[in-house]
Amino acid sequence: MPRADVAVVGVGLAGLTSAIALAEGGARVHVVATGFATTHWAAGGFDAGVVRGAATPQAAVDRLARKIGHPYRLVAAALPAALEWVRGILAEEGLTIVGGLSDPLRAIPTALGSTRIAAVLPDGMAAALAPWEPGETLVVCGPAGFRDFWPHAIVASLRRPGSWRGQPMPGRVEPVTVDLPGLAGRHNLSGLDIARAFDDPVWRDQALDTMARAVERLAGGDGRVALPAVLGLDDHAAVLEAARRRLPLLPFEVALAPPSVPGLRLYRALRAALLRRRGRLQIGEPVRGAVGEGHRVERLVGPAAAREFVLTVGAVVLATGGIAGGGIVGLDDGSLRETVLGLPVDAPLGDPWLLPDAFDPPGHPLETAGIRTDADLRPVAPRNVREPLAENVRIVGSLLAGQRYLRERCGDGVAIASALVASRSLGAHVAALAGPEHRLLASGSRAR
Amino acid sequence: MTIAEVVGAASAEAIGLSADACLKCNVCNTVCPVARVTDLFPGPKYVGPQAQRFRLGALLSPGTGEDSVVESPDKTVDYCSGCGVCSTACPAGVKIAEMNNRARGANRSGHVPRLRDWLLGQTDLTGWAGVLTAPIANWSLHNRLFRWLIDRFIGIDRRAPLPAFKAPPFRWRLGKRHRSAQLAGAPPPERAVVYFHGCAANYYEPHVAAAALEVLERNGYEVIVPPQVCCGLPLISNGLYGAARGRARRNLEVLARYARAGYRIVGTSTSCTHTLKSEYREMLDLDDADARAVADATWDICEFLLDLHDGDNLDTAFGTVAATLPYHAPCQLRSHGIGLPALDLFALVPGLEAIDTDHDCCGIAGTYGLKKEKYDIAMAVGEPLFRKIRSMGATEAACDSETCRWQIAAATGARLRHPVEILADAYRAADVAGPKSPARTEPAARSSPTAPAGG
Repeated sequence: MPRADVAVVGVGLAGLTSAIALAEGGARVHVVATGFATTHWAAGGFDAGVVRGAATPQAAVDRLARKIGHPYRLVAAALPAALEWVRGILAEEGLTIVGGLSDPLRAIPTALGSTRIAAVLPDGMAAALAPWEPGETLVVCGPAGFRDFWPHAIVASLRRPGSWRGQPMPGRVEPVTVDLPGLAGRHNLSGLDIARAFDDPVWRDQALDTMARAVERLAGGDGRVALPAVLGLDDHAAVLEAARRRLPLLPFEVALAPPSVPGLRLYRALRAALLRRRGRLQIGEPVRGAVGEGHRVERLVGPAAAREFVLTVGAVVLATGGIAGGGIVGLDDGSLRETVLGLPVDAPLGDPWLLPDAFDPPGHPLETAGIRTDADLRPVAPRNVREPLAENVRIVGSLLAGQRYLRERCGDGVAIASALVASRSLGAHVAALAGPEHRLLASGSRAR
Repeated sequence: MTIAEVVGAASAEAIGLSADACLKCNVCNTVCPVARVTDLFPGPKYVGPQAQRFRLGALLSPGTGEDSVVESPDKTVDYCSGCGVCSTACPAGVKIAEMNNRARGANRSGHVPRLRDWLLGQTDLTGWAGVLTAPIANWSLHNRLFRWLIDRFIGIDRRAPLPAFKAPPFRWRLGKRHRSAQLAGAPPPERAVVYFHGCAANYYEPHVAAAALEVLERNGYEVIVPPQVCCGLPLISNGLYGAARGRARRNLEVLARYARAGYRIVGTSTSCTHTLKSEYREMLDLDDADARAVADATWDICEFLLDLHDGDNLDTAFGTVAATLPYHAPCQLRSHGIGLPALDLFALVPGLEAIDTDHDCCGIAGTYGLKKEKYDIAMAVGEPLFRKIRSMGATEAACDSETCRWQIAAATGARLRHPVEILADAYRAADVAGPKSPARTEPAARSSPTAPAGG
């Protein structure tokens, strides 16, 4: 059975960036996950925080970091460095991230015709961030027969000033639907299918020509064109470059319902970065228990085709997500259970499940459920925060208690900042493990 | 507890009912290698959990007995290659590939099988016929007219990678020492393992079996090769569950005796070992004491060797193998849930730089890519992998599964080898390099040879 200096459980943003940081530090890292999740669903940007009255992500983060029990209290200081580090990692893999924590939060159009607030986005979406001038036209352009992007419906909503959250809106918003070659007769057409079609340079040129002609008719002066986020998967940078060159208006991508192509690009870039650093990934392995001694986890255990999967570990990073991600599940009696190590879950008192309003303004109390940690992100009991429950375990991402990641939109920021804090704190730990007697580092360092 | 766990605990229909846990999140559709290249297969979500409610046999027609099957209304399930990538990617634990495999079985049940599909399932029959007539058989397989005929009239693509027969079969090359039907007289389980060679090593790649014997004996194990038949996987993949059960029962009858006596069963074909571990119980419903004993005793050879290493019982006196070696982890290996043991073993060989090609599926998926209507799909599925291997300029590559090796070799021109062949090379290199013969490691006595690894 395999061994690792550090096992990372979970393959979302927090898990992958923790794994990359640790592998970069020389640790032999083995990522295990039940399956894919957040990267394949999410928009592929980096939301650090959105709080009423905060004009930049940094301002929002500062405000959240003052809230008692919020994970930013422990990791906000690492966020600027984490973002620049992740930006560098992704750039190496050909994915450009635009915008910083001190840039203004802007309202950008969504595929539903609403807007959302963002400041740090992948290159393909970034043109949406510049403030709109009254003389500008926004053309919303989508392929006919594509069920996840309806230009006319989007435009109907974006023409209402109320959709723009008090921020400047374009002078004119126009829809156009185009027939892209070969898509007409295809059933079950997903954004991923179109993105793969764009990877083909010949089809790409034909499609962009068709779109250019359609947009040209509506453009008339300055403006930008919103396209569904389907501009290539493997060859995104080339598709984006071609789109900028050939379309009469500056294009930007709009994130779609899952499967998320920008999210897939992010996942692929992070996966490549991890493999480049000789990390290992094992998807389809739901870790369901651990064996340890004292305050140390020594082995992780999960189901396999026969017998059990057993991973011998020096340390563990838990990045399994909160209730939405499957890191915490509710039991029949209303209590909550952490699924890998059975750590005590810090949850609101009383019966937090049933509320009169599912979309209660402060958010659902269960959103804050998670694992309490010390400053090194080691798990602690909710009522005894001094003593770590496991000294070689770190908690990262939305499994950390105290955040309302839906309302505060702090998930990506908490993920990468906690990943950096956890890997720094384990880095020393891993270096101590990597003595001459540590067989695995000595023998395993050549394999990729 | 997740819905999948509740269902798994409560019901024998665990595979079918796991569809209830589906969130419709589309992750499976993003990873499906077949849907990536063709519209003939709409994707695992549509064909799996979404179509599943139309084919819950026992529930839709209660009281009709265990053989009641409901044909899947969606015939595109036939284009699922069964690679299993969807099941490993699902965050909700839905057994998508298994569900589709069963749907294929249900669709075939009660019909006379297509000659081609029946033939592809008869690996022992074609194997024996081939090795007994090897010169003629191999000539035919490379003869254009013959290939055109089987393409035209049987439906096996004339370009598909069909391996050459090697006469005599591996079993005939064995001395008495290895061949055994009797437990009595066999060395104790601490010093011996049972080898499941499968069809590929017997009829086409006896050199893989020879390398396995060499490596196992090097580590102090006697190798017992009891009578065995095809594991049944080619039949399962072609929806011929009845015939597959027959093969399974014959294997279980022999292997279970060894498993109960504490012997470990080691195989070089990662798809055969996966079948012994999981498919007999999950696909063929043979979930009895024999099947469980065999499943618990079965090890993929690299998994077994890494387990020896874990207990400091592997002879690690490998000689230098100076090579950069692309390694493809087959989809079937990933379904074992054992990590990538070949890469861990390669890391022990001085000079060897193994590179994980990180591609989901080579396309062949057992017999899928041999079929006329699927050959182009299979080649397109594997193309990124082939490109990667070609661009590395590698003349050799490694892979744990025979059909993948044949597919990749045909597509890239590289020589494809089982990881155990590389390890055998490394042992031989040590023998050549050092005048002193390297110390043999005697396996430590095991209190319980079938105990879970890592203990």
